[in-house]
Amino acid sequence: MSPRRPPRICRAARDRMTLLYYGALAAADKADLLRHFDSCRPCALEWSAISRCLDAVAPETVFPRETEVDWREFTRVVVARARAAKITGPGIAPASGWGRLSLAWAAAFPVPARFAALAAALLVAAFLWNGWLGRGGTSGGRPGSSDSGVEGQPLASLLESAHVMQDRLARRGAVRYLSDSRALLVNLVGPADPCRKGSGQYDMTLEKEKSRQLLRRKNLYEGGLGALQDQRLATLVRQLESVLMQVAALDDCASARQIHDLREQIETRQILLRIDLVTREMEGRTNVV
Amino acid sequence: MEADDFALMVQVQGGSPGAFETLVERYQRRLYRLACGYLHNHEDALDAVQETLVKIYLARQTYRPSAHPFTWASRILANQCIDQIRHRRVRPEQSLEEAQERRPGHEPLPLLSSEEAAQARQERRELGRVLQGAIDTLPPRQREIFMLRHFGEMRLEEIAATLGCALGTVKSSLHRAAQSMRDHLGRTDPVFRAKEEEAS
Repeated sequence: MSPRRPPRICRAARDRMTLLYYGALAAADKADLLRHFDSCRPCALEWSAISRCLDAVAPETVFPRETEVDWREFTRVVVARARAAKITGPGIAPASGWGRLSLAWAAAFPVPARFAALAAALLVAAFLWNGWLGRGGTSGGRPGSSDSGVEGQPLASLLESAHVMQDRLARRGAVRYLSDSRALLVNLVGPADPCRKGSGQYDMTLEKEKSRQLLRRKNLYEGGLGALQDQRLATLVRQLESVLMQVAALDDCASARQIHDLREQIETRQILLRIDLVTREMEGRTNVV
Repeated sequence: MEADDFALMVQVQGGSPGAFETLVERYQRRLYRLACGYLHNHEDALDAVQETLVKIYLARQTYRPSAHPFTWASRILANQCIDQIRHRRVRPEQSLEEAQERRPGHEPLPLLSSEEAAQARQERRELGRVLQGAIDTLPPRQREIFMLRHFGEMRLEEIAATLGCALGTVKSSLHRAAQSMRDHLGRTDPVFRAKEEEAS
């Protein structure tokens, strides 16, 4: 703080710096403050530190994964979901009856599982609808035709969209599964924590638990990778399953020998390298949301 | 915030073609950042944004233009995030990445190729983590106001309207939040500290 300037002025200036940064100062106040910075080096330094700090709080720094998202695809999925939710019933459920059931359903299943269930429901609806039309039924009208959009499109197109969405979700889930499995295997290949219970043994509690989680997740999209272009991914997912099952079957305190065998298996099968290759291939081919 | 958000919301209510898509495109990123601030998890944040946007669509007829559409959307998102946090407390989940990051002596390995890109990404992630840590140390109200300003891109008056508090409260909270952030970075981030020393 400048010795010739009363500290009160500097305190007042510092109190207004944030407002200056956020553009919430009147023009005259702003000019006053900038003049003050010209004549007071400590305040000018403080201003530069505050600005630097707040400039750093940029979304791309704080949320680096925002750029990984394909937002166009995300928009498409959200819009399709919103309109499908309108067809199948309100997503904001009332607090009783079917509403409560729907809330319980939503709480019990993660979003990908809900998508798969929704797609299956749409398929059944299409089957019934087509059968009904085939019998010559025409009355009854379409559900919700006032809002142009998916409701106005033929049901076949809606179903196609649901299929595409389901495939994408299966791939998206598989790519995440690969990435999480890779992290687990890298952990397994790296230095292990010694086990507290026995000397010469290693703590595998985390790896075991994560393997179980991954195996459970895999079941969610199993069967959704039947397309020809997904064959390599499906094969890798199957091979990973065998390794993960071995990890899940380890004792909490595993022997060095067991870990060595697993590492050898990972290296011999080149699993990490193959995960990298398949992940890159998938990310190049599908813009995974 | 764009001035025609009100008009867009009217179009969404009226079912104009493409109106809802435009709204989603306009709000999704800002909502994602707010959701990240609440949930601290990329996947959970994406889920929260999806749920919020679906709820917005289903409840669009209940929107009243007394509040800005984004203000309304951000309240729905906040409630959605609170629900998810409650649900998480019942069934605690930790992502693999988080679990491994928190495990001592287990630094994530860089990608096999492109070491430099991995290094840059790692540095950016580190700064992001420091900033996120600094934001987390703020008291809840200050944090919310700070997030709405920086990640929701809202004006101070809009924040006051969203949270139902006085404009003066928003200003003083932002001031205190900025001071805390600066102190936190000065203490914990060597790069920021070095720059400060260099400037003085």
